[in-house]
Amino acid sequence: MVIIPQIETPVSENYIDFEENLSKLIEGVKYTSKKFGLKEANGAINSYSIVIEQNFGINALFLCKDLKDKYNNLNVIYAFNMRDKNRTAILSDLITLKQLGLKDIIISEGLHPLKTVFYASKPVYDIDVLGFSSIIKTGSPYLKANDYANNFSLFNLGVVVAVSTPVDFLKIKKLSKIGVNKFVINYFGDNLDINIINYIKAEKKPVFTYINEAGIKSSLEEFIKKNLELNVDGVIIKILNEKSNIFTQD
Amino acid sequence: MFLTEKKDINEIDEALNKYKRIGIVGCASCASVCLTGGSKEVKEMEKHLTNTGKEVAFTISIDEPCDKRVLKEDIRFVEDELSGTEAIVVLSCGTGVQTIGEYTGKKVITGVDSKFIAQTEHIGEYNALCEGCDECRLNFTGGVCTITLCPKGLLNGPCEGHNGINCEVDENSKCVFMKSYENMSEFFEEENLNNIFTPRDYSRTIKRKI
Repeated sequence: MVIIPQIETPVSENYIDFEENLSKLIEGVKYTSKKFGLKEANGAINSYSIVIEQNFGINALFLCKDLKDKYNNLNVIYAFNMRDKNRTAILSDLITLKQLGLKDIIISEGLHPLKTVFYASKPVYDIDVLGFSSIIKTGSPYLKANDYANNFSLFNLGVVVAVSTPVDFLKIKKLSKIGVNKFVINYFGDNLDINIINYIKAEKKPVFTYINEAGIKSSLEEFIKKNLELNVDGVIIKILNEKSNIFTQD
Repeated sequence: MFLTEKKDINEIDEALNKYKRIGIVGCASCASVCLTGGSKEVKEMEKHLTNTGKEVAFTISIDEPCDKRVLKEDIRFVEDELSGTEAIVVLSCGTGVQTIGEYTGKKVITGVDSKFIAQTEHIGEYNALCEGCDECRLNFTGGVCTITLCPKGLLNGPCEGHNGINCEVDENSKCVFMKSYENMSEFFEEENLNNIFTPRDYSRTIKRKI
């Protein structure tokens, strides 16, 4: 099992300072992994990953590119949602990602604006993750004379899902059939349906859990232990502050 | 029914600032049901405008001001008064307001906020169940509209944000996709359970005229 930090691009901080703090964060993740006897404790090349969230637009793409160029052993994953952009803008971002040589992406529907500081924004949700996955994996009936599917089907596509109810199970089966490469479970606690996780594993797709660091109610060690019991391939932990977080506190 | 809510009276007063001689048109249909534009509300508006120094040229309640055929018939009753009227306060939804403005050529001021197509639970309690999205999928969703009832308007849900029972946004409500799933299961609609909806085709909504 691996630990992968996820972080948003900074609003005002200089990128040079931010990247320096990200290096410290990665060191913290390595230390924590070693402490808990996890896979990456030996420091294998190309095995450290970081998820950069789309928030605040194109600068996140620049940051991904910069990190990719500067740190050879860092696998940069770009995470974005269906909330902020319509299908045209999202596909435009994919063209940029492809040109930058970034292939790992994670998509989610996205937290509703009402639950964010931008509570009055108009939510977009032009397409949902199933629709979007269909477009990039199998093509779309609404994209005339294009080669989007041919170009984008090679993206290593992860989708954030819930795994509590029969209707979640149905959605995951559909996503799997479309060709989604990995699943990220939005972790709420003990209401996970282990049968759904077992199904994903049986489909031979990697499965991760996702949690905001503030949502970890127990100790990090206990949280890791729970995830080991779930037999997931990794945990993605959203870091709220790159300078001070659960990985840099020690 | 199309639900409307009364506007802040100060906004109406401000919009009427330049005008002295005012007409008032109510809607005896939807706005009457939701107590924003019936004859009682028209009288209240008349009283308010008179008290604020306006001259009310006429008041009328039209059965359906959004229906040009009805409007043409009914507006004849105030034809003489209309000619000298500077502005008309319309207590109906936006469609009614624009229809009256277009037909009379007068300045129109809306007295209500247009909300949504509503199911009436009781007077004063309404639910939005349909958004008029142009492409009804109720035959395939267990009879519930996820575009309207899911705060994210998803076609292929649920989102990752529900906690196993309730909606991420409206924490007191069940996720609509669970209701949809239950209905489809109850009616043995296996084929619909496995359906994947293609993204909405917004080219259909550019100009809504039939």
